[in-house]
Amino acid sequence: MIREVVFNLNGETAVWNGGPAARLLDALRDGFRNTGVKCGCREGECGACAVILDGMLVNSCMVAMGRAGGSEVMTIEGYKKTERFAALDKSFASVSAVQCGFCTPGMVLAAECLLRENPRPDEGEIRAGISGNLCRCTGYNAIVKAISSAAKDGEGLW
Amino acid sequence: MNIKESVIKSDHAMKITGEAVYVADHPTDGMLFGRLLRSSKARARVLDVRLPALPDGYLYADKNDVPGANKVKIVLDDTPVFADGTVEFIGDPIGLLMGPDEDTVNRLLERIEVEYEGLPPVLSIEDSDTVFFDYTYAKGNTDKAFAEADHIFEEEFRTGLQEHAYLETNGLIARPDGGRITVHGSLQCPYYVQGAVANAMGFEPDRVQIKYDTTGGAFGGKEDYPSILAAQAAVAAYKAGKPVRVIFGRREDMEFTSKRHPSKCGYKAAVKDGRVTAMDIDVKYNAGAYTTLSKVVLQRGIICACGVYNIQNLAVRGRAYKTNTVPNGAFRGFGGPQPFFAVEMMMSHIARNLGVEPLAFKERHVAAQGDVTSTGGRFHFPVPILLMIEQVAKACNFREKREAYKNQTGTRRKGIGMSLCYHGAGFTGAGERDLIKAVAKLRKYPDNKVEVLTANTDMGQGLNTTFAKIVANELKIPMHDIIIANPDTDRVPDSGPTVASRSIMVVGELLRRAAVRLREQWADGGEQLVEERFKEPGYVIPFDLEKFQGDAYPTYSWAVNAVELEADTLTGTVKVLGAYGSFDVGTPIDRNIVTGQMEGGTMQGIGFASMERMAVDGSGKIRGNSLSDYIIPTSLDIPNLQCMLYEEEYPEGPYGAKGAGELPAVGAAGAYIEAIEQALGDVRVNHIPFTAEDAIEILHKEPSL
Amino acid sequence: MVSYLPVSLNEALEYRGAGGAIPYGGGTDLMIKGDKDAAYIFLHKVPEMRGIIEDDKYIRIGACCTFTEVAGNPLCPAILREAALQIAAPAIRNLGTIGGNIGNGSPKADSAPVFFAAGAKLRLMSLRAERIIPIKEFYLGRNKLSLEPDELIVEVLMPKHVSSRYYYRKVGAREALAISRVSFAGLMDIKEGRVMHCAVSFGAVSDVIIRRDDIDAMLTGKTVSEAKAVKQAYLNAYNTAITPIRGRVSEKYRKAVCMNLLGDFLAAMGI
Repeated sequence: MIREVVFNLNGETAVWNGGPAARLLDALRDGFRNTGVKCGCREGECGACAVILDGMLVNSCMVAMGRAGGSEVMTIEGYKKTERFAALDKSFASVSAVQCGFCTPGMVLAAECLLRENPRPDEGEIRAGISGNLCRCTGYNAIVKAISSAAKDGEGLW
Repeated sequence: MNIKESVIKSDHAMKITGEAVYVADHPTDGMLFGRLLRSSKARARVLDVRLPALPDGYLYADKNDVPGANKVKIVLDDTPVFADGTVEFIGDPIGLLMGPDEDTVNRLLERIEVEYEGLPPVLSIEDSDTVFFDYTYAKGNTDKAFAEADHIFEEEFRTGLQEHAYLETNGLIARPDGGRITVHGSLQCPYYVQGAVANAMGFEPDRVQIKYDTTGGAFGGKEDYPSILAAQAAVAAYKAGKPVRVIFGRREDMEFTSKRHPSKCGYKAAVKDGRVTAMDIDVKYNAGAYTTLSKVVLQRGIICACGVYNIQNLAVRGRAYKTNTVPNGAFRGFGGPQPFFAVEMMMSHIARNLGVEPLAFKERHVAAQGDVTSTGGRFHFPVPILLMIEQVAKACNFREKREAYKNQTGTRRKGIGMSLCYHGAGFTGAGERDLIKAVAKLRKYPDNKVEVLTANTDMGQGLNTTFAKIVANELKIPMHDIIIANPDTDRVPDSGPTVASRSIMVVGELLRRAAVRLREQWADGGEQLVEERFKEPGYVIPFDLEKFQGDAYPTYSWAVNAVELEADTLTGTVKVLGAYGSFDVGTPIDRNIVTGQMEGGTMQGIGFASMERMAVDGSGKIRGNSLSDYIIPTSLDIPNLQCMLYEEEYPEGPYGAKGAGELPAVGAAGAYIEAIEQALGDVRVNHIPFTAEDAIEILHKEPSL
Repeated sequence: MVSYLPVSLNEALEYRGAGGAIPYGGGTDLMIKGDKDAAYIFLHKVPEMRGIIEDDKYIRIGACCTFTEVAGNPLCPAILREAALQIAAPAIRNLGTIGGNIGNGSPKADSAPVFFAAGAKLRLMSLRAERIIPIKEFYLGRNKLSLEPDELIVEVLMPKHVSSRYYYRKVGAREALAISRVSFAGLMDIKEGRVMHCAVSFGAVSDVIIRRDDIDAMLTGKTVSEAKAVKQAYLNAYNTAITPIRGRVSEKYRKAVCMNLLGDFLAAMGI
């Protein structure tokens, strides 16, 4: 029987008492004020709420808190402090890959998960890696370029 | 500084770190959550609304709570804040339920009983007996041209609903504050919203403060819609005496907010000696239940109905019909994409009827500088379309591929198509001069930092960056000394709405001129305020809206699109192999930003032609109301997207810039469908979106028995 | 309502047997509704449901294996790995499980046609008993499954010798994040000019996956030229057997695509 959910959020212990069926998305945004996690659809169809759960990309709207118990969750709030983020930040900036910004935190975390699996992806692999993260602004070109150049310039980081 | 060279966008850091504050990111302490009670009938009289017992702190607001006019001020004022006796579409707001706990509000909402007396809904243009707007205009003598024609061709083209699918749904927060009310959130046009809220509240505008929150995409979908939602939220918050937050879920946003008008365009063309001498065009838009922006969408649509071509004799009629469906409004291109699809296919089909290559045929008809426009204005500046065609043709080997893809067999067949379009830059007609009268200001502080004061919003298109570049460039100060805060009607003048691809061309130029003046008057350490007001360029032939005569636009942005694709004859599915475009938006104020606009817009244009399909059932209910049913392109769908810029400088815009944002969404559909027609074996397609089902139907592929 | 996090199969079966709580595999279907008050049995820590192992007859795939795990595991047959890779997008594949895909009961489940064509079996367990049934017997009708209220899907048993020659197509409306409009799986073994085995299945077409051993038997044992001779009758039989339902696309479209893909499958196999 699950009473409270204890998990690790961005390196720190987090305790959730809002019930195991609550969405990780809502817990992160409302409970822990990680508002960099964006809510675009609540149906797993857009990727705006993507976070890293035990090293893998997930849509936080698709995760019940009971599933997150004992896990490590990383949001953009934690990831932005990393050296790898700095590399992606620089490459996204250099090609203006951020427009409205609503898909961006999820997109950056998708890039991280792609690069940790495959540090030198080709264009097709990058496109496949971010294929669950919808962007309505950019046409994806700039994002793909940014990830590609982060992989090259961030040699050794992944 | 070279104004074209890209800089790091000023909103980059706050967005990529997740620190930017969108409307849903504000703390909700002490706030009420609001949900709209919506009509479940497409057309009905509302006889009774029975509320369940509401717990303490839960309130319901409806038409009886509207202190001012129960009308939303948009262009006309037929949209009610809350339904007044009748409902006109499924989703028409009847009231707003609010309370401190969101789940409780949702549960209570389900328990509200509404008694209706249903009336038969009107769901299509064909069945509509109410014409909201009906315009005609003419040029030359079409009767004579048709009488003398060698050939007359007639076709009809249809386009479907298109949903903006911005990643952030519509949402606003209204806060009562003494005798004033503040509304902030996801929106394009603060002063539009101020006007609407003031009207509904019966307040003078200075008692209404509208603030922009970082907005997650809009594309026109937050041009008129926030005026409606703000009026509702303001009325509710005023009643409650507490802040009220209304943020739509994805399905609510998709089903009940504005979309691109479905259209039906009839084209009749006269051909004499291999040239189109006349067109008789009948444009019909499905406006939905209320007029919202249909008047101006229709105006733009009929003005561009003959495309980029110089057609000597023209008769154009345009009508917007009322139906009991969600009101359609602004969407990037604003009435342009529908007739541009139609006219491009019409020209392509005429060419094929005559046995000539469509591109060569189109080239013979392209307008040139000095030619008379559809409305008797002039193309005052060079028309670079023919040069842009060469740019695109070279990038994709267009003519070679067009030849190579003839007479294919096998289950994978390729096609390539090209389309041409323009977008009239800025407001249609005299709107800028007579209605908007834009004002922009620069305020210099004692520390020599300069604040840009305009009402224009950066929804992702990069305006805060490009505005700052213009000002920094003229003042010769670093970008980081330019301050641009989120627009707040208490602090910024009305520089007009962020629409119509006008912001850089019009407001950017006001800022440039203001910066020039500030530079000339610059007093180190002092506080200074410089203001600039819009002046219409002297060469413009004044536009007469009654007669549709004159320069509808001060200038035009031009585009050439090509799409190459491969159709699978077994499944009808289509893979886009490449999408190519050349775009003339004048001087790009930041190449990355402009290219990003062109790429994103092109993808929306291809989506419009292909996968973006929204079905309405027989009761008037939108069926595809989720991102799994109404699908938009993913990163894998248009892998080879090449957007090039062609720079034809516009002397009245800042550094030669003209309208940019909408252009890429206007023309791609024609190229996509021309490619489909070739891939499927020289077939004719007269509608979009074109789906795999359509392809299979066309192929008449009987089960391979 | 109370949710549980069992760490052994026996514990999971106890909670399941107690009733009331919903088995939660990856959550990607359950969380679309995302009822805050729901009670779940979270199964991701049940080791017996997490492995992909080989025994003398089967590749045994734990019901809580994700699509990402299946797609990346060389023990899984290529057709299954290919189907798993075409599901949705990475973030969904990282959570979504084989057991959940099947237990959801949808004919659109992307893994199901592969399991049907391969003749996979399901290992179902409760505290009372254990059953191993062919997947075809699991699906009884639209959203009707042969699953007792106290049973869990524990493993999918893939026969070890799945034909190396396969044909898989998922027909969606875009290149990722697509819901199947039609899916097709075909397996064929041809040895020394003779069809040793033929199995096809059609997903997302009807209330349950269409799999007809009786029709496929028309080709089994035939030489390639004999098979060619009965090809028309074989196609005719499927043309009668496939009765699509209307959904996001029309019956007519589904039927046409099914028959096109079936024909293409035969052609690809040299028949």
